[in-house]
Amino acid sequence: MASVFHRPSLIYGAAIALRLTLLIYGAWQDAHSAVKYTDIDYLVFTDAARYVARGASPYARDTYRYTPLLAWLLVPTAAPGPFFFAFGKILFALSDVIAGWLISRSLVSSYGMEPARALRYASVWLLNPMVANISTRGSSEGLLCVLVVALLCAALSRRVVLAGVLLGLAVHLKIYPFVYAASIVWWLDRERELSATTTTTTTSTSTSGSGNKDDGVGAKIISFITPARICLGLAALTTFTALNITMYLLYGEPFLQHTYLHHLSRIDHRHNFSPYSSLLYLVASGDVQTGWRFESLAFVPQLVLSVVVIPLVLGKRCLAGTMMAQTFAFVTFNKVCTSQYFLWYLIFLPFYLPRSSLLRQPRRGITVAVLWVVAQALWLQQGYNLEFLGQSSFVPGLFLASLGFFAVNCWILGIIVTDVGCLSGQTERRVKGRVE
Amino acid sequence: MRRRITLLQHASTPYDPSQVHLSTDALSLRTLDAAREDRTTFALDEIPSELRKVLQSCYQLNVRWASERPAEAPAPFASRVSSGLHVLFTPGEGVEGDGASLCQTLKQVFGDEVDCVSPEASFVTPPILSTRFAASASAQFYTRLPSLDSLVAYIERGVCSSSSDPDNCRQQAEALRSADSLDINYDSISHALTVSGFWASAPEGGWTEEIAKPVREGTDRIEVGLLGAEPAREPEEIKMGGLLGVVGNDDQLKPTLFSFPARHHGLPDEAIYSVSFPPPTGLHPTMAITLPQASLQRPPAPPDATCALHTYLTLPSTIFGDKYQLSTTDPLFLSSHNLAALRAVAGETDLEAPDWSVSRWGSTWLLELATPDPTTAEEWNVTVPLHLRYLQPSATGIRSAAVPWPVVFWACTAEDGTKMGVNPFDRANLGWDGLFGPRTMFYQLHPAPQPGAPLVEELAVPVLRLENEGLFQGKVIELATVAVISLGFVWVLWKLGMVARGSGGGRKKSGKTE
Repeated sequence: MASVFHRPSLIYGAAIALRLTLLIYGAWQDAHSAVKYTDIDYLVFTDAARYVARGASPYARDTYRYTPLLAWLLVPTAAPGPFFFAFGKILFALSDVIAGWLISRSLVSSYGMEPARALRYASVWLLNPMVANISTRGSSEGLLCVLVVALLCAALSRRVVLAGVLLGLAVHLKIYPFVYAASIVWWLDRERELSATTTTTTTSTSTSGSGNKDDGVGAKIISFITPARICLGLAALTTFTALNITMYLLYGEPFLQHTYLHHLSRIDHRHNFSPYSSLLYLVASGDVQTGWRFESLAFVPQLVLSVVVIPLVLGKRCLAGTMMAQTFAFVTFNKVCTSQYFLWYLIFLPFYLPRSSLLRQPRRGITVAVLWVVAQALWLQQGYNLEFLGQSSFVPGLFLASLGFFAVNCWILGIIVTDVGCLSGQTERRVKGRVE
Repeated sequence: MRRRITLLQHASTPYDPSQVHLSTDALSLRTLDAAREDRTTFALDEIPSELRKVLQSCYQLNVRWASERPAEAPAPFASRVSSGLHVLFTPGEGVEGDGASLCQTLKQVFGDEVDCVSPEASFVTPPILSTRFAASASAQFYTRLPSLDSLVAYIERGVCSSSSDPDNCRQQAEALRSADSLDINYDSISHALTVSGFWASAPEGGWTEEIAKPVREGTDRIEVGLLGAEPAREPEEIKMGGLLGVVGNDDQLKPTLFSFPARHHGLPDEAIYSVSFPPPTGLHPTMAITLPQASLQRPPAPPDATCALHTYLTLPSTIFGDKYQLSTTDPLFLSSHNLAALRAVAGETDLEAPDWSVSRWGSTWLLELATPDPTTAEEWNVTVPLHLRYLQPSATGIRSAAVPWPVVFWACTAEDGTKMGVNPFDRANLGWDGLFGPRTMFYQLHPAPQPGAPLVEELAVPVLRLENEGLFQGKVIELATVAVISLGFVWVLWKLGMVARGSGGGRKKSGKTE
């Protein structure tokens, strides 16, 4: 079995074959059944691409809530014929495979893993049927995931400018990757800062009698601002701003409205996995009673965890693990949550699993997997009762199911946080030293 | 004021000349079994001033109302609209009208259930496919309206009190309570308001009444026609024969026979359809239109005419179609629903908005239906996939959404030069007719619900269950949500705290294991 992973061509061949099979099967199902394999979102993308191909704005298509870049990328789908129609799916599936390849490569280069072992963990992504299914149905998450992995790889190999550009691009594409700015900034140059901190603490203790406390803080701040961090910030900001200005000049108000402002003003009153969904339905319909407007504070726990505390506590130990925990916290505490969001953290699984307690303690690992699936299944059953059987399952069914799923996710997040916390900051550094 | 009473008898209905008697003073009807149209035309100065002001701000205003009871629609009154109140409105050019006044008037006249703020906020704009067809209105409104009681009260209160013949006015108004449909038309060219009631059948015991000659003989006029349909020579024509007279002018009814090209034609009684939402409807109900074989026969249009079966859906804001799904050209999707194409859509088609954030009344959908080989003897089922909006929470967890039956008809091309307008019974501006070219003939199918059932389907929409007391209170949801999220937040923070506190130890520990 292990020998399979010694032959990368076999694994990548299988990953590509899996996707090709799904693509061909999808085309067949689309052509022979009224129930389509292709995701509705893909029709939104391709409609928008058709508008762009005709020189119009992609926002002419209702519910197109993405950057125009996506519509540009998919312009070939506007050409006639089934191959061109599938172009976007091929692109998304290819992104998946490239993401898998990057994972495996960086597991070797940055974490010093044996290539065969690295490939085994990368297969969690490469050969994951859920991942292959989502991208071949035409969901653009694959594109985002390859960017995020590339961002991680660039940061790990200290290609700071590249990391900044990727970060800017990823945020432009889908806002949420901005949380990675915190962890990458914290992680970069942590070595230098650590030594700076130790020197300042030693000096301040040695000169504790006369030493000014402000000197320590000032020195900390100065030692925090390093060329690499400035570089990263500037590259990210420049990319993000340049893209937005370009898009705004090209498409004006609708670009801002649909890509960004929509996410600020939207009230997701419809049922979804988020623990907030019942409350938001209540609020949106104007039926709240306490008038405390809890929902307007929903971003507080979400951002405190994903932008502040997790990067601060874990950032210097393991970048990939921190990013996984951040994403997991962001998705778990988000005001809206659908199953494609799960892909956002699943991409980090190959980095996290090798040193996680989920594999060391198989019983725990199985419990986590089973609870995660069962909590979703319970919710899905309530959702089915509502959506297809017309039962009023909002309360208590969906309400409790989403809170239950949230509780399971918090428990899992606790495990991830503890696992990543047990890693020493040496892991990535040591290996990096070897690469350089 | 001019009044035209048309009594339409079926050829097979027994008729005795003594049942309709015209004298120099009055027309008397006795136990006459006939469908009836009663059309009254008012000059602008004959209507209440508040109403006049609203009308003068319109270029054109057409109100169409149909009862929820199924009723026959014999030619030349064959056209149909979905049950409820339809308002088609074109504002006058350069008229400074605050839009709200039209809605206020509609509420006054038809009752407070007319959920209308202003034409800009509440009306939808129908697509104008044919700009040549100037009759298309620029804005359209619909609401469910089971009865005309409010209108009757309004007429009695606001119109009859100042009428020259209040008793007669009140009697006419009262009769509207049993009408099967009602049309109100106003246009700024003729400056006349016409109100027509239609009764598909006589009240029990037949029509028995005395219609006296008008009080103001110079300006008012009452025409009477007792007519029956005759076989027409041309397929696009309707031929009527019978007796005509003017009350007060003629001392007896005069025989007549005339024919005219008609926009709307009837079909045999067997050409029916029925509408249902097969359970479970969930949040994505499917409207099923069932057509027996007789409804699928090509209508008796000229042989060179092109005919296609259509349905026109009037959907309140609680329910909508996905225009991207329905406008597809995918033959698999279309044939699985027996649809041919989505021809027109207007109104609220937002896929995500909940009902409470939708300001306009709803949407209209013109769909061309696929038809099978007419020799197949089986029933034909057309399905239209629809979706429900989120509705306000309720104590039971269920709210009701009423969907009127759509109209189903054949549309056939008519020869150029066919002058539909010369038809004295012509009826246009129904909402759906304007979506076709002016030279189109329509052949109406008859809605046939279960005995006693209305032409409206009620859907049970699941909503958030919310009680004032007990377990399902809004407060419980709010507090439980906040409590669980806070607990989860604190749990993760605590785990992070453990990591931060034990950082030295953690490092040592990992150092040991590695």
